[in-house]
Amino acid sequence: MIATVARVMWLALLRDRGALMLAFALPPLLFLVFAEVFSGAGDSDLEMRVAILDEAGTPLTGRITDAIAGLDGIVAVSDGSARGVVRVADLETLVRQGQADAAVWLRAEPDGNLDAEPPVVVVGDASRALAAAVVTGRVQRVLQAEFPALGVARAASLVDALAGPYTDEQLEALDLALSELDAEALEDEDGDTSQDGLVEQRLLGGGREIDDGVSYYAGAVAILFLLFAAMQGAISLIDERNSGIVDRLVAGPGGYTVVVVGKGLFLTLQGLAQATLIFAVAWWLYGLDWFGHFGPWLVTALLAAAVSAWLGLLLASLCSSRQQAQTASAFAVLILSAVGGSMMPRFLMPGWLRELGWFTPNAWVIESWHGIFWRGDGAAELAIAWVVLLATALGAMSISIWLAHRLAREK
Amino acid sequence: MSQAGNEPILEIESIAFAYRDKPVLRDIRLDLHPGRILALLGPNGAGKSTLIRCICGRLQPDAGRVRVNGNNPLDNASARAATGLVPQQIALYPHLTVTENLATFARLAGVARRAVGAAVAATIDVCDLAAVADRPAGRLSGGWQRRVNIGCAMSHSPRLLILDEPTVGIDPPAREAIERLLTRLAGDGLAVLMTSHDLAQLETLADGVAFLSEGRIAATGAPSGLIREFFGARRDCLVSLADPPGAELAARLEQLGLASADRDPLRWRGMIDEREARDLQARLPTDAPITELRVRRPGLHSLWKRLYGRDPERPG
Repeated sequence: MIATVARVMWLALLRDRGALMLAFALPPLLFLVFAEVFSGAGDSDLEMRVAILDEAGTPLTGRITDAIAGLDGIVAVSDGSARGVVRVADLETLVRQGQADAAVWLRAEPDGNLDAEPPVVVVGDASRALAAAVVTGRVQRVLQAEFPALGVARAASLVDALAGPYTDEQLEALDLALSELDAEALEDEDGDTSQDGLVEQRLLGGGREIDDGVSYYAGAVAILFLLFAAMQGAISLIDERNSGIVDRLVAGPGGYTVVVVGKGLFLTLQGLAQATLIFAVAWWLYGLDWFGHFGPWLVTALLAAAVSAWLGLLLASLCSSRQQAQTASAFAVLILSAVGGSMMPRFLMPGWLRELGWFTPNAWVIESWHGIFWRGDGAAELAIAWVVLLATALGAMSISIWLAHRLAREK
Repeated sequence: MSQAGNEPILEIESIAFAYRDKPVLRDIRLDLHPGRILALLGPNGAGKSTLIRCICGRLQPDAGRVRVNGNNPLDNASARAATGLVPQQIALYPHLTVTENLATFARLAGVARRAVGAAVAATIDVCDLAAVADRPAGRLSGGWQRRVNIGCAMSHSPRLLILDEPTVGIDPPAREAIERLLTRLAGDGLAVLMTSHDLAQLETLADGVAFLSEGRIAATGAPSGLIREFFGARRDCLVSLADPPGAELAARLEQLGLASADRDPLRWRGMIDEREARDLQARLPTDAPITELRVRRPGLHSLWKRLYGRDPERPG
């Protein structure tokens, strides 16, 4: 008898394609996303978009620039001129706008002068401090591996300062050793020469009083739950179809379209309320400057809520049963959220996954809100994201209404 | 149909409809006047649902035309506003009270916001829903839910009420309450079109019936007139036996016009002349093992069987 019950469960699962997908297709898909992110997070496979400015412009800094740009996992988004990066301010802009995960500024030729500022500066965004740390580590590694003489020269200078000046013979031997070190550099990548004082890490956005991740995660969590709630709410459309309410309404003068539009309006307002609650908590507990950016925030929140509402209604319109819709919505929300950056920052993702993220509403919403609170983006900077979100909402709305109209007038 | 009002609220003129080249409706002609109750009858697949969809404006007939209140419901909102549909399912919002349901459907049917209160009050009065007005629809008994289901189709004061199996799944007292309600609504001038498998109920409730068979109207008219037309003065007789009859008794039963019902040798049934039916027992051998002898006027049940060749309880 126990086997019979188990067999019934097995047959039910086998014949429910949605449940089957949820049970066996979604887990490996989500695993794929997480594996792509975290398997590359500890080594050079983690892809970083890096802007480079060689301000010193010497042969040595040119070689260092080439070495950094040629590293595995580094995608140079500027070469110092092609994208007009001629000033540090340009680098900072690229980093602030998220076009580069971090930037490398070669402000002077590295030498043994211990009193000078570190010649190499890695510029990162405080909201993506991890990216800056990863790039700093890689720059230090490339300096160690390919330019070991730089570290030795600085160590020698330190010894010179502490133990008195070198003799001419010692200086001559030191120069010879340094030139040999440079020649052997590529054959000895595991050299442990200290590069202390060569690389400085500088995070932009410092001075803000709030936790750097708050604006990111407020947006990431908000869009995740907006989608979940909208999809659950939209399932009432199926209940109404199955209970005969739709038959009743279609026979009347208003038809079914008003019901779909009414639900879209409600779910949009519901989403707006959800986003308001989440950002109110961020403002209250973490000091997010909500009111200082209220206008752009509100536009983004409205668009995020509208996109969620109409995607939910579209999905419900396409499904024939509540069970099917629940399965499909769970599937859709989890995948959109994983790929779109609601579950982990997108800069941790490999390049192809990061690009794929732009096909999700999550990525546009998260980047918009993050830009508003972190960079102070206004309408001009947010225009593209707003257009994408608006177009998505309108597209989903049009298809949902068309499906409703088709349901009402069958031929 | 006989006329209660001058102009029919529903006119169906020779409509035809085919689904994927398979004819579903063929040359359907019907009129329904205010104050009349017309029942559409037929087994599953006869075309009842398709016909109702045409009347509600959800399907465009391939030929012929449908007029509700003088207009085509397919493209005329006033024609649809004149229609109230009561689906077979309980088409209510279960978490809303009865009053809220009535108000919701009144608004969705186009009643102006300021007129909703009066419309709801009138519906509660007409449908006698005051006792449950403030209770959530989902917590009502099946009978009350059916009445609210009708009320929600009435809240915008339609002229044509279409009901799909309005008494299915409810107990006799609740069914009688709905019959009284429909009679009262028709008495107030509403035209009622309904489908039902409760043929006994329709004999007293409906002014007219239309039997559909394979998309055609096989018979239409007042129930009593149709029964008279098909059966004249004959009576529906049933003889039940304790044991299978011998050859002599079987021959006698067949001679009287009775036949084994559903190939059951213990039940013999048939339409026989009223005079012969009156002294049926005397016409059978005295030693026949009769356990029951029933003689009754034929009804819609008999007519159904005559038209479709099977009992209405048997699936088509």
